[in-house]
Order: sequence, then structure tokens, then C-alpha cells
Amino acid sequence: MSNDLTVEDFANEPLPFTATRDDPAPLFTAEAIVNGDIQQVNLEDYRGSWVVLFFYASDFTFV
Amino acid sequence: MAAVAAIYSELQDLNTEVLAISTDSVYAHKIFKEISPSARQVQYPLVSDRNQLISRAYRTIDEQNGAAFRTTVIVDPEGTIVSKITYPREVGRNSQELLRLIQGIQFGRETGLGVPGDWVPGMPGIPRRPEDIGRI
Repeated sequence: MSNDLTVEDFANEPLPFTATRDDPAPLFTAEAIVNGDIQQVNLEDYRGSWVVLFFYASDFTFV
Repeated sequence: MAAVAAIYSELQDLNTEVLAISTDSVYAHKIFKEISPSARQVQYPLVSDRNQLISRAYRTIDEQNGAAFRTTVIVDPEGTIVSKITYPREVGRNSQELLRLIQGIQFGRETGLGVPGDWVPGMPGIPRRPEDIGRI
């Protein structure tokens, strides 16, 4: 991105979905390692609990 | 990752689950969990976002290399995002701050009080009184 961008370049655009505070957490189902086994994890199954989504770049790094 | 594993029981006491997510394959996750001393301690799921859909949808993808940014998202029991923090390339997360955030959110919701900066459990919240405006 150019460093020449100013707030005016963005301020008048419609705001896209940014998955931030007060947005619905997009639901997903994905494979996961759970206690050494491959299982499907579905975010919707966690309704009723607080959930921390801990994104990290790569296995085998310091995370 | 091990730091979050170390606070896992405290998170469970706060009715909080953890999903670790990267764009690695589930096979890489399995070996990582088996051989990495820090990953071996992990009790929570390691989710494989192999098609990058989750990282893209949560707007936390590095499009240069297909890896997720180091982002922590907190979702409340109704499924709404209440916090999203992306950390710098160079610095790892602070598990005590993660714990403090969840404790602070829950304290604020339970008491209706404001939760000021540097609040930690045991400290009072701040009543929201119009007459205090400008006095704190």
C-alpha cells in the first residue's frame, strides 16, 4: 500500500465487513487435532461458552 | 501457545474455550502436537484452516504468504465478537492480559460498572454517574 493514502481515501467509502468488535463471529466447521485425534470442530457448538480464537502463523514457530 | 495452555484451567473456570487456528494442515498439527515441547502441553483443539477461509473471513490473513496474523478474537456466549487484537510481527501474546480481558468483560457485564484501564480482578469498577463526568 502506498504511504500517500489519506483518511479521505477511505472515510467516504462504505465500511466493509471487518470481523471486529460487535460483529457476529462468522461460523465455521473445520478439521482439528483434539487430544491427538482428527475431529471436526464447529464454532456454533460453542454457543453458551466464551471462545478465544487464537490465530497463529505457523506450527513449529514460537507462536 | 504453552502460555495459554498454562492458564487453560483458569479459562475453563471462566466458561471459556480456546481454538488455536493456523493455515497448516491437520497432519502438520498432529506432528507439531506430538513433538513440540510447547504444543505437547496444549489441551485445546488445533484447528486446520487449510483453505484459509477462516483467516480470510476474520480478516487476519497475510496474503503474501497465506499465513494468519497473530490475532486473538474473543467471542461471547451469544456468538458476537467482543474483542479482536492483532499483535505485531515481532512480539508474542500476553496470556495474563487475555485472562484479564475475559475477567474484565465478565465483571463489566455482571456489575454494569465501567472497567478502567489497568483494572485487575479484586479492584472496584466505576459507576456510570453523569454527575461524575469531568471529575474522574
